[in-house]
Amino acid sequence: MTEIKIALVGNPNVGKSTVFNRLTGLRQKVGNYPGITVEKKTGSFAHQQTRYHVIDLPGAYGIHPSSLDEEIVYDVLIDKTNPNHPELVVVIGDPFNLKRAVFLYQQIREMGLPAIFVVNMIDEAERSGTSIDVNKLEKALATKVVLTDARSGKGIDQLKAALAFKPNGYAPSFMIPEEFTAATQYVKERTGPSNEYIAWLYLSQKQNKHLDDSQAQEVANARQHHGLNYHRLQIQEALARHASLEKQLAGVVKDPAKKKQYVTERADSVLTHPFWGYVIFFALLLLIFQAIYTWSGPFMDAIDSAFAWLASSTAAWLPAGPINGLITDGIITGIGGIVIFIPQIAILFIFISLMEESGYMSRVVYLMDRWLRPFGLSGKSAVPLMSGAACAIPAVMSARTIENDKERLITILVTPFMTCSARLPIYIVIIGLVIPHEKVVGLDLQGLVLFGMYALGIIAALGSAWVLKQLMKSKYKSYLILEMPTYKYPVVRNVLLNVWDKTKGFVLGAGKIILAISIILWVLGSFGVSERFINAEEIVQTEKPGLSGEAFENEVQSQKLEYSFLGTMGRFIEPVIEPLGYDWKMGIGLISSFAAREVFVSTMATVYSLGGTDDELTIRERMAAEMNPNTGKPAYNFASGISLLLFYAFAMQCMSTIAIVRKETNSWKWTFIQLAFMTGIAYIAALVAYQLLK
Amino acid sequence: MSQHKSINHLQNGETATIVGYGSDEIPIKIYEMGLLPGVTLTKKQQLPFNGPVYLRIEDNPNAIALRKSEADLILIESLVKA
Ligand SMILES: Nc1nc2c(ncn2[C@@H]2O[C@H](COP(=O)(O)OP(=O)(O)OP(=O)(O)O)[C@@H](O)[C@H]2O)c(=O)[nH]1
Ligand SMILES: [Mg+2]
Repeated sequence: MTEIKIALVGNPNVGKSTVFNRLTGLRQKVGNYPGITVEKKTGSFAHQQTRYHVIDLPGAYGIHPSSLDEEIVYDVLIDKTNPNHPELVVVIGDPFNLKRAVFLYQQIREMGLPAIFVVNMIDEAERSGTSIDVNKLEKALATKVVLTDARSGKGIDQLKAALAFKPNGYAPSFMIPEEFTAATQYVKERTGPSNEYIAWLYLSQKQNKHLDDSQAQEVANARQHHGLNYHRLQIQEALARHASLEKQLAGVVKDPAKKKQYVTERADSVLTHPFWGYVIFFALLLLIFQAIYTWSGPFMDAIDSAFAWLASSTAAWLPAGPINGLITDGIITGIGGIVIFIPQIAILFIFISLMEESGYMSRVVYLMDRWLRPFGLSGKSAVPLMSGAACAIPAVMSARTIENDKERLITILVTPFMTCSARLPIYIVIIGLVIPHEKVVGLDLQGLVLFGMYALGIIAALGSAWVLKQLMKSKYKSYLILEMPTYKYPVVRNVLLNVWDKTKGFVLGAGKIILAISIILWVLGSFGVSERFINAEEIVQTEKPGLSGEAFENEVQSQKLEYSFLGTMGRFIEPVIEPLGYDWKMGIGLISSFAAREVFVSTMATVYSLGGTDDELTIRERMAAEMNPNTGKPAYNFASGISLLLFYAFAMQCMSTIAIVRKETNSWKWTFIQLAFMTGIAYIAALVAYQLLK
Repeated sequence: MSQHKSINHLQNGETATIVGYGSDEIPIKIYEMGLLPGVTLTKKQQLPFNGPVYLRIEDNPNAIALRKSEADLILIESLVKA
């Protein structure tokens, strides 16, 4: 079987990922928002004795990148040693922006890459009465043209067949102006690109990451010697190409004689209205919050009782002892503590997915730009901030579409303050323990506190953005040039698949960490080397001679835990966290939840079950009954509860986020600053709150 | 070029043709997105406090949003007298 690498390239939001999914059968995320794909994704399929390796790329308007996601496209296409460098490029366009797509197509062909052309969303063209003259277009492009409707799959078979096409006979349409030929000649001789246009690209790109230092130096020399400015060269090329495109594409697209007013236009007169647009946006946010908090109730109750039943029947079935505690309390209850949040997380993902699929997300960018600018952010930061309410990891990646480096960095640094779904398990449990179940002016007090936690996340994000803005400089001007696609009916299948993938990822990811941490905790909590651990029974007997039976067992267990490896660790950090109102057991929870916030509750369950023999209590009852040995008050009282809420609101307790921030900022310095900043604020806020309230 | 008006001079609902640019330091994206000389566009609305403007390009179902500072750089000739 022959193997061929192909790349899907095209303007943002034309349906590249949808075509990719059709070809490979994979489920790459799609959405009606320019900039859904920000990283290359690969897949493969076989057709007629050939295995095609397909790479789906982020959208780009041209070969000259404006943002990081677009850079990936140039890097893959220019660098012949890149493992994803394609042998055939499939350029995808949509019928309403054909010129733009052909613009990109020409650049790719002139780089010397073979390419075929796809006009996707042909169904929309048909609906509006627009038609495409395929023969004329094939002639103009000197290649095979395929019309597709990737949503329904129409034309995909023709596309597969067209991949065997060998394009040739392409005549460049951009002639390098004579005044620059000396410079391109120089670059061509010194750095060895295969043609003149590539030499021109070297000169007109801000960065050529694939060139080595001496080659890059030659390009810089050529620029300097001939007084060239890369930006001007880009503009020159864009204007020259567009000037000839009109003629080349004459008669290809036939617009309907009678134009109907677009539905989108009418919808936008309300949805992006200077007044009603904001009213609707905030009403939508309230609706989402309300839905997360109230709609999920019955589902959560059902899951709660199911896990309680599972834990108690497993406890009864297994022989009594520490392993029993590990499995029932640490693992089953811990995983139950995550599964119970599936309804809330799914509801959140459904809303975010609907906003992306319908095209509303771009309108949010438009509406929020003016209000985010004073904080050093751009309208485009609204997307990472909103998806940060689900999870910071994809949110941080989605900041790639922000062109300005300073705005992008600030967005990445503040996004983890947003209340992600991993904070919910802690918030709900702590709020349930320390906030009375009362009504205040007709509103549920616990719900209000939760709402306040969300608001606090937003305030922290914007406040720190504002601080960062004062401290940072940017070389580049910030701008907003945003395309807002037509509204589309969300494809229910896409939304559901997306919600399913995300929720599954959340549960499996958390489940794995919980499993691993429960086992580590259990091992650390069951062994020790100190005298008081090894001879716990005798020591308890001599120190508290009156104890017997269950009380004696309990005392031995808790002393063993205190002097186990785990207890030693907890007591080691106790001096640091005592002023925040926590005891050494909660300290263990803080340490283990550094891996991921959501393991705090399951950690506490494991720790408490190791320290006692009582298996009947649920996680919550156990937490409510726990006493802080230092203060003699309940471990989760009002003061320490508020202190914990604040700590988790601000602290960067998530290893995966740290890793992704490191990757996306490409800087240990900023990663470390963010970690220190967040943990610092968390500590101070928790300290002040506890000291004032205790 | 300063005798020309920019997009910011348009009233809501007013249509105009692009004739040039106020500077040559403008983002390449403006060109690549098709905001080119000869193109006809309509300003639909603008958000309060000098917020971004909402434009429609003739024959294109997608809308484009620009900040006031970018709109300033795009020079136009009004088709309908305001
Ligand atoms: N009507 C119609 N809609 C389509 C078609 N192909 C894709 N879409 C929709 O167009 C939107 C964009 O699709 P994507 O596949 O995410 O586009 P993309 O080119 O990968 O976008 P970026 O990754 O953001 O550059 C989604 O809402 C799709 O459901 C099509 O053939 N017809
Ligand atoms: Mg995509």
